[in-house]
Amino acid sequence: MIAALIVDVLASVLLLGGAFWMLTAALSMFRAHDALARINVLSPATGLGLPMIVLGAFLLHTKVEGFEVAVLIKTILTVVALIIVSSIASNVLSRAAYMSGSAVDPRTAPQDLARSPEEGDQVPLTEER
Amino acid sequence: MSIVLWLTVCLLGATILVGLLRIASAPDPASRAVVGDLVFFSGVGLIVLIGLLNESAAAVDAALIAAVLGILATVALARILTRGRR
Repeated sequence: MIAALIVDVLASVLLLGGAFWMLTAALSMFRAHDALARINVLSPATGLGLPMIVLGAFLLHTKVEGFEVAVLIKTILTVVALIIVSSIASNVLSRAAYMSGSAVDPRTAPQDLARSPEEGDQVPLTEER
Repeated sequence: MSIVLWLTVCLLGATILVGLLRIASAPDPASRAVVGDLVFFSGVGLIVLIGLLNESAAAVDAALIAAVLGILATVALARILTRGRR
């Protein structure tokens, strides 16, 4: 009986926490001022919010139908895919956002995409800040 | 327990609404693509929750497929942003 309670509490914490991360990511899209900052803000939702929801779903599924290795493997695959695939997708999207000429905060450094290849990498402005 | 599930569904619904509001008021297309990506992933979260509410095993499968194939939507958005150039 206690185990069912613990699984319930853990699953609800995971589910509500994951939904909380998604909501804060959506709300903070208003605070971020340019596309790159918004892509940066997106990562907690896809890297942490959704894996928590999927883990909560796995816990509830285990409580209802008992433990199944197949579902565990799928859950692990989903969490790993979410973290890896969403970071690659964000990288592709941010490169496209930068190349598409959308407004970029002037303070973002280094902006290596704007420089021609032979100029090499720009030194980040660490000493000025 | 179903209270928690329905509360999570409401939170994710609010996420989608806020995301759609942000898409409507976004200044540049890049931000719209990003918030569209967020709406897509919260849609995946909704699918998982609906699967849970109906006690169906398809919840985790749907999330797995959406997570792995989610990159196609984002890469498509990125390609649209740069008008087909790499």
